[in-house]
Amino acid sequence: MPSEQIFVGLEIGTTKICVIVAESRADDQISILGVGETPSRGIRKGEIVDMATVTECVREAIVDAEEKTNVEIGNVWVAITGAHLRSFNNRGTHTLPAPRQIEQADLNMVQTNAKEIALPPPNIFLHTILQAYHLDGNRNVIDPLESEGMQLEADFHIVHGIKTRITNHLRCVEALNLEIEDVVLSSLASAQVVVTQHQKDIGVLVVDIGGGTTDYLIYHDGAVRHSGVLALGGDHITNDISVGLKLPIARAEMLKIQEGSATPPENSEGGVITLKNDPGFLGCDIDRRSLDTIIHCRVREIFELLRRDIENAGSDLLGLLGAGVMITGGCAKLRGIAGLASELLDQTVQVSTARNVGGALQTFENPQYSTAIGLTKYARLITKDTRPEGMLERIAQGFGGIFKRRSR
Amino acid sequence: MSAPVPRRLIIGVGNAGVTVLDLLAVGNPSMKGLMVVNNDSESLAASVVTDRIAVPEGDPGEGFVAIDGEFGGAVAGAATVVLCGGLGGETGSFLLPALAILAKSAGITVAACVGMPFSFEGRGKKEAATAALEKLYTVCDAVAVIENDRLSGGTPSTAAVGEAFELSDKTILASLLAIHRMLSTSGPVKITRSDLKHVLGVPGPITLFGSGSAEGSNRLHEALERSLRSPLLNAPGKTTPGSALAGASPVLLLLEGPPDLSFAEVQAAVGEIERIGGERCQIKTGVHADRPSGSPITISVVASSGGERPSDKPVAPRIAAAEVRPERQSAPLDEETAPTATPQTPKKTPQAPKTIPTIPQAKLDSAPPTSTTPRKTTGKQTQGTLDLDTQQRGRFDKSEPTIVAGEDLDIPTFMRKGIKLTPPQRS
Repeated sequence: MPSEQIFVGLEIGTTKICVIVAESRADDQISILGVGETPSRGIRKGEIVDMATVTECVREAIVDAEEKTNVEIGNVWVAITGAHLRSFNNRGTHTLPAPRQIEQADLNMVQTNAKEIALPPPNIFLHTILQAYHLDGNRNVIDPLESEGMQLEADFHIVHGIKTRITNHLRCVEALNLEIEDVVLSSLASAQVVVTQHQKDIGVLVVDIGGGTTDYLIYHDGAVRHSGVLALGGDHITNDISVGLKLPIARAEMLKIQEGSATPPENSEGGVITLKNDPGFLGCDIDRRSLDTIIHCRVREIFELLRRDIENAGSDLLGLLGAGVMITGGCAKLRGIAGLASELLDQTVQVSTARNVGGALQTFENPQYSTAIGLTKYARLITKDTRPEGMLERIAQGFGGIFKRRSR
Repeated sequence: MSAPVPRRLIIGVGNAGVTVLDLLAVGNPSMKGLMVVNNDSESLAASVVTDRIAVPEGDPGEGFVAIDGEFGGAVAGAATVVLCGGLGGETGSFLLPALAILAKSAGITVAACVGMPFSFEGRGKKEAATAALEKLYTVCDAVAVIENDRLSGGTPSTAAVGEAFELSDKTILASLLAIHRMLSTSGPVKITRSDLKHVLGVPGPITLFGSGSAEGSNRLHEALERSLRSPLLNAPGKTTPGSALAGASPVLLLLEGPPDLSFAEVQAAVGEIERIGGERCQIKTGVHADRPSGSPITISVVASSGGERPSDKPVAPRIAAAEVRPERQSAPLDEETAPTATPQTPKKTPQAPKTIPTIPQAKLDSAPPTSTTPRKTTGKQTQGTLDLDTQQRGRFDKSEPTIVAGEDLDIPTFMRKGIKLTPPQRS
């Protein structure tokens, strides 16, 4: 099988490090060959705090994936998240001296102009995602190439983040002599597999609630309109349970997974949950209503903050969501989360897993793998261009032109 | 005196002041302009500070008169004097206001960093300290008050008494250094003396103060986190770092560090304080990037809450030392030059005998202040108790806080909302 048909997605998450090996099929679908996985250490809220430990964890996950798929991994697509990531929309304008046919260089120029904006000094551009072209006042031109015109404009959704934090993410991978094909915003990767093109057209909010962060992305008219990251996730729920019920973190995590529910405490079924004795742990009876209260409070807060962030972005984005909200990520499995989200966001809400993906069934039906699977889909979509040089070298060059390929 | 007087002096008064200055001198061996004044000869003899003024033991009033000339000569020619010490004891309570008046009358800008006694030290000390503090406010351009009882919020309940005092000394030292640097006129971005006066020059409000240092790749966030974790920046009843800054305005933010201290770091610090302080929070920023390369950065946050600002309501005329000794004017707060007067002992009026009758309002002619006059209070000046449970953040205890609208979101939501839970029943 030709190597360019194999795509490897690497998600360095707060809870787990996940490697998805997938192949591109002739029918334009992605087929998962296997998953490598290891619990994360050295990561908090999506950001690396212990480089050596994370590098070792990544190595374990890569080795695991290689053993399961019999594929030698040399190139990876890496997802990135973290509260340092920010986004905004901006319009680039390029006026020609006289009317003529629009060329690729003109498209490049309008994108460059859109990025002529002062970022905070430690930040660099991560994505410049095309929303729409406008040519001589003709709005929403799908492809202006070879059309005749004089004033070319384009709207972009721009994502940026702190350079050192992005670089640290990449160093953990490059330390293993893996070549990084590209770095992709986690929510952008997830969206590739959890929503359809039709949903992107009529408007959809993708919410990926992971261990350390909640990443979200809004599509409308087929383009990204807004994105953001909240530094809150499943780890906060686990921590709340641990603090509130005085349980070890591992016990709290197990309790969340097995018994957790985001439903309001007044709807709690009540009763007690008995935790049995274990070596080093004295068993106890947990009041279920208390557990439900803890989880409900935190999940409610996450969605309230999410709603506030989206409302602060303006443009009545919540009013554009014809397809409602799709929740994915590890926390999507929490009982009652869709109902609570629906109440707080005034939208129809579904828990979504990867779609239009073949291969290992159990993998793509689990929402916690959406980001890593989405990376491989993203890779297939944009991999027609020639392979870029190493990511760190490109960062050193100021990201000039790195992400131009991502504008589709 | 043959040696020129440094433009900025730091003077430790009483045993607490000597201790703080010793800490300062040991940590900054090359620092100039340090002086200690005390009537405890043993304390002075043990001090590492070489410029010392020994006050005769016995009645503090008489002791002061005995060193009046010596002190005047020592400070003459200085631009600023920062006094520090503890209030409540005989020495500090008497000498701090008295020396402040003396320095002020020489046209010097005077600031003070003082510690208020712990509750367990007794009511008498508290009252003496309150009376002395009132006098300091009438004289000084800025007074940073370290309330030791509020500090105990950061000290585990099992802490030894000695540790509590040590924490108090260290906090006074940190505030002293911050104010000393704020009074400095160097640096590309400055906090003016009028800013300092606006925040710390009016009696009434509670001083909010926090300071933290860090180095390494994440130095800004770590230093900021440490500074915000100061118990003096916690609102009563809240444990969210920096919660007392919500609504406080203006806030003085001082960043000190090596030359590579970047504008981005300054911007990030300002942004964080703005986020905590709220939309209306005005931040006055000072930057000193003159530390040696590789040094840690230090972030100091100073504000006050409660009370009334001069801009809110006219303040009653304060006792001006210049009125008493009209031959020399007090330095304007924003003036960057040292007083032009030649270094000499401030003149004493012929009537000045053994006490300080030249300042009748200050009533310093009596023995150590034991006034029971209640300190002017306003509605918000309550000294809240602090939650001593430091484990609220659980696994996030040592990570960068997630602060949104002044709330630390790493603290469990149900806790912040005050929801009671049924505790687990051990089987």
